[in-house]
Amino acid sequence: MSMQHDPDLDDVLQDQELRRVAALLREARMTEPPLDDAFRSALRRQLMNQAWGMSGGGVPWWRKVFGPTGMVWATATVGVILIGVVVVLTNINQPGSSDQVVVTSPISNQSAVRLQQPIQVTFNQPMDHPSTEAAVQIAPATTVAFSWHENTLSVTPTAGNLAPNTQYQVTIGPGAKTAAGQSLTAPKTITFVTQPPPSPSPSPTPIASPTPRGVLTNQHLLASIPDGITAVLWSPDSSTVYYITGKGALESVPQGGGSATILAADGVSSLAIDAAGDQLAYIRKGNIVILAITAGTTIEVVPTSAPVLVGWTTGGVEWTTADGVYAIGPGGQGKIAPLPATGTVTAISFAPDGAHLAYTQDQSLDVLDLGTGKTIVLGLSGARFLGWSPDGTGIMYSSAQGVVLADLGGRNTTSLPAGEPSWSTQDEVLLGSDVNLFEMRPDASGQTKLAEGTYHLPEWAPNGVAFTYFRGGELFTASAPAPAPPLTSPLDAASSVVNTFMKARKDNPDRANAYLDDNGRKAYSSATSGLNLQVTGDPSFSRYYLLTGEITGSHPDTAQFVVRIVLEHNNIDVKTFEETLTLVRTQGSQQFLVDQATAGPVLSLGTTAEVVSVDFTATSVKVTFDSDLKPETVTAGVIILDSKGKQIGNAPVYSKRTVTIDGLDLKAGKGYKLVVLSTVQDVSGNNIAAEYDLAFSGPSDTHGDRHRDTSPSPSPQPSPSASPSS
Amino acid sequence: MSDLQRDDERELVERAKRDPRQFGALYDRHFQQIYRFVYSRVREQTAAEDVTSEIFMKALKAMPRYQDTGRPFAAWLYQISVNAIADRYRTLRPSSPLEDFHNLSIAEPPLEEQAAHRDEIRRIWALVEALPVQQKTALVLKFQEDMKIEDIAVAMGKTAGAVKLLIHRGVSRLRDEADSLRPAE
Repeated sequence: MSMQHDPDLDDVLQDQELRRVAALLREARMTEPPLDDAFRSALRRQLMNQAWGMSGGGVPWWRKVFGPTGMVWATATVGVILIGVVVVLTNINQPGSSDQVVVTSPISNQSAVRLQQPIQVTFNQPMDHPSTEAAVQIAPATTVAFSWHENTLSVTPTAGNLAPNTQYQVTIGPGAKTAAGQSLTAPKTITFVTQPPPSPSPSPTPIASPTPRGVLTNQHLLASIPDGITAVLWSPDSSTVYYITGKGALESVPQGGGSATILAADGVSSLAIDAAGDQLAYIRKGNIVILAITAGTTIEVVPTSAPVLVGWTTGGVEWTTADGVYAIGPGGQGKIAPLPATGTVTAISFAPDGAHLAYTQDQSLDVLDLGTGKTIVLGLSGARFLGWSPDGTGIMYSSAQGVVLADLGGRNTTSLPAGEPSWSTQDEVLLGSDVNLFEMRPDASGQTKLAEGTYHLPEWAPNGVAFTYFRGGELFTASAPAPAPPLTSPLDAASSVVNTFMKARKDNPDRANAYLDDNGRKAYSSATSGLNLQVTGDPSFSRYYLLTGEITGSHPDTAQFVVRIVLEHNNIDVKTFEETLTLVRTQGSQQFLVDQATAGPVLSLGTTAEVVSVDFTATSVKVTFDSDLKPETVTAGVIILDSKGKQIGNAPVYSKRTVTIDGLDLKAGKGYKLVVLSTVQDVSGNNIAAEYDLAFSGPSDTHGDRHRDTSPSPSPQPSPSASPSS
Repeated sequence: MSDLQRDDERELVERAKRDPRQFGALYDRHFQQIYRFVYSRVREQTAAEDVTSEIFMKALKAMPRYQDTGRPFAAWLYQISVNAIADRYRTLRPSSPLEDFHNLSIAEPPLEEQAAHRDEIRRIWALVEALPVQQKTALVLKFQEDMKIEDIAVAMGKTAGAVKLLIHRGVSRLRDEADSLRPAE
């Protein structure tokens, strides 16, 4: 056994046995204890927040006045050119002094200063160049070069451009002297805000459609049904069409062609298929029959009273009777919602997800929410049910003018021409009639006549390409041409809503409510969320900008944005916080609404570097700061973690305030985290105030464009990357 | 710690005293060490996190009053730690046995001797846990944390002589209570 000699203990442990015991004690090395890195980071953040609070009283007055790093006020107004005629005169000496030194700058107090230009400061008399240059302080920390032209000093960032979305404060300190040797008696600051960054990449250029619009393809006869049909139903994989004939026979036929198969010879009155496409449910002779399609076996459910309508939920089969909606639960059959007991009540249709029921009560068309038991009335008296959106969030009914599309609250209505409608998974509506067939988007745009002739009961296949129609006792199928591209991409549409929502919060919070769905309203009214729809108090809401925005899902379209809100006091940015907004656009709502919101901590803005934008593709992430950084602190200070906390990507590369991490393979929908450690320093040696974490999802391959058609875009898409505010 | 490291640490401490926002660098430097020490005493992750948070929060708040006595900054953090753990012990006891926490793998063969040796170490550390608190703390800081006597004195708020006495008494008591630790003749 080795005995490590410790001079510290020479006079303490003189006995050999004592030294032996000490050696034994020393030999046991500690194992590493379990440590949660999130705890370590969270504690650091907590300490730094506490430190910011403590530092408030100890900061020199000039740092308070001139110090805070700006997060900006952005305006995306294209074409805003620097207004050179506005000159703010600042008097460095006391008013009335005989030796007034006047400073002018064309960008003082401007709020959308171009990124590619020097900061010009003009003096009204010759200045001593070395002392003046030495007296220039710029926040955020920026490495700059100086040049003079007569009495004008140009301050140029060596990185080339100014940082986007940033409030700059250029201070001429009291050390500046005139050529005559007179020192300035007080510092003066020029403040301005830069414009948002240019769009990192234009919207993808749509590819020309291989199919000319206005031509149906693959038209062929599926089945001759001289008795007519009462229902048509597609299998979820769009391979098979099921239908009930006028005589009550249930038959199926392959979409590609082939002979029809009789599944039930007669007496069938309602039909539904489960989400997997494995089982059909139908009503026959007062019972509910469940048919296992592949095996061909059936089981029968004998309801306690006569069933009228059958449907599927995720939990199994459901049906209506004269008095309510029933399903099979653990204890057997049970009523899950009652139907009105007065008037003439007729169940019409279960929504595709089985969560709602359309029915009529006398002349009223109603929708019953089977989860809450609440009912809403759609349209005017006499309105007829015409169909659902495939996701079950939208409904179609008749009006005097034609077809109305609405969400299940009866809001967000759109009127389409009269006809027999069918709503596709690709957000296209077919309108059939005796004389023609039209295709259009649910907002009534892009109306296109597909064909002349009789097209009754059009019914889209789940693939959004094929459809069936009925003409002269025969059931046909055809493929519709690809739909016109949307006027705006989902990301642009969502960006627009976020901008409108944020402007409303600043100017008219009541109006902001219109951009929240039920979940969103709960988020902003919860006492524990820390979210306030109206940002009040001092410091006050100065501006906001979008830090990131991405499409995170489709069906329904889902987008996530990180919005940075900047608070000011006496026109100086002093605090900031970020909100993460999740927006959802269902087929029923037809527009993005804020569905989820979370708020980060309120941070004080200091003189240290701040992240002002994050752009990412599947292979790289670019993080832009408002300050010049020490490159050697970036390598270990900016990292990307996957969902398991493993660091990914190549070593960061720093250039011109931007840190780029390449070599990534970000998967759409997967969670990742950008971490900027507090070891990162600006060129002045200041560590960033606190670790910065940003969770994001891998970018979608399709940039959120869920439309299969990609015919040429009518005009360049606006940039989604930045937002104006006021 | 070299003179250069000591100068570097003094600079960090001075900056943090002037501006609490600079405390982050000290936190980064000492977190692992303090957390490990705390965990070794409370033996439960949540409790270790609670105590560690308390220690660094107290340290941050007390920074303006910190006086450089020439000893490492860590000694001051250990002082706060010892007190915080003592507060914790008034109501709680460690939940895991000590032998679960020490790496008892010994590099040298043969295997039978290794096993016997591991057993000795395990038992002697178990005896440490039964010592009076002051003796136990002194032994842990000396043999587990490998601190100098003068630094332990800072951490425990005692003189160096008092610490030496605690260590002597503690080790002597271990020797007396662990006759079985003697190798077979």
